[in-house]
Amino acid sequence: MAEFDPIEERAIEMLDDVRLEAVRAETVVHDDERFEFVLWALCLRGVPVIERVCRARGEARGLGEEEIELATEDAAARMLLRLSRPEPQPQIHALAAEVAAACIDRAWPAQPRPPRLSPRAPRVRLIKGLDEAIEIGKVRPNDWETS
Amino acid sequence: MSNGGEAFERAFRQAIDDLKEGEEKPIESYLGLVPEEERPQLSQLLADVLIARGPGAAPGDVTESEGYRRAVAVVDEVLGSRGKAGILPGSLKAMRNARGIEPDAVVERLAADFAVEGEEGRQALARNYHRLETGALLGSKVSRRLLGSLAKIFDVDAADVLAAARPAKEGPTLRSVPAMGRSGGEPPEPSRSQTERLPDPEVELVERLFHGGSEA
Repeated sequence: MAEFDPIEERAIEMLDDVRLEAVRAETVVHDDERFEFVLWALCLRGVPVIERVCRARGEARGLGEEEIELATEDAAARMLLRLSRPEPQPQIHALAAEVAAACIDRAWPAQPRPPRLSPRAPRVRLIKGLDEAIEIGKVRPNDWETS
Repeated sequence: MSNGGEAFERAFRQAIDDLKEGEEKPIESYLGLVPEEERPQLSQLLADVLIARGPGAAPGDVTESEGYRRAVAVVDEVLGSRGKAGILPGSLKAMRNARGIEPDAVVERLAADFAVEGEEGRQALARNYHRLETGALLGSKVSRRLLGSLAKIFDVDAADVLAAARPAKEGPTLRSVPAMGRSGGEPPEPSRSQTERLPDPEVELVERLFHGGSEA
């Protein structure tokens, strides 16, 4: 990143969100080289929001740690794209939250599911002629008291 | 604070202590601790302190987390790679990596969008996409159609991609130069060897998409 006057950098850092957004829009339109630093300052305010939203929504959606961190990276890149537009953008925290939520809510590739623990299906065989064998007393049905 | 009373002093000290602890309350709650006539002065004083402090840390510090570190690294990398195609190359790469999209998959989608079916056309797409992502192309020469297609692939607004591709100021500004005209006579028929060397129409299309200017 280009280096600027440290006093000017500090002055930009001290601006509140609304003023910083106004400076951003102006530097984009006028192709001002300070655009880069203004963008950096705005992103540093947006990234914590991205992190929090991705974590909270990602955990609620059942995403793993790595997926949440990938969504955080994705959202950071998308926030930068939005901030490069010349038209005024929403307040940085709102923008960051919106982008982060979209990155979590997207379709994720299906995860390999662990094997489900379910009772084994009983193996039942039909024995032909069993009913007749019981009838003539050749076979006795199970008796819970004696067997 | 010279003309403030004891309540004024106490309210101000409490606000400063709360700020130091990161537990500041809304300004109104401190103003409520002082008599009405002292409120404008305390309000001004607290505003000065807040301005001098700069933007406050967001509640619930996340700056130590791995997600925060990775996101800041993305911002740093994308801004650091800003050049002839603005921040588009870095952004594309970051989004592709974050979404686990292989470059081949991007090329496949572009090929489908622009009906590029031949091997040479696909190779040209792969070559040019790689050059775009590595910042070797001039953003202002990339066609809107291509940027629109990339926006669809990466699920972003086309206006975002268009804005991101604006070259950084220090980047070279290439202008199209009018072709040198030759006067007189019809152009000679191309010889057979020349026609054999004519570029593949799909390759030509790909070259136009990546280098032919925004309207190509």
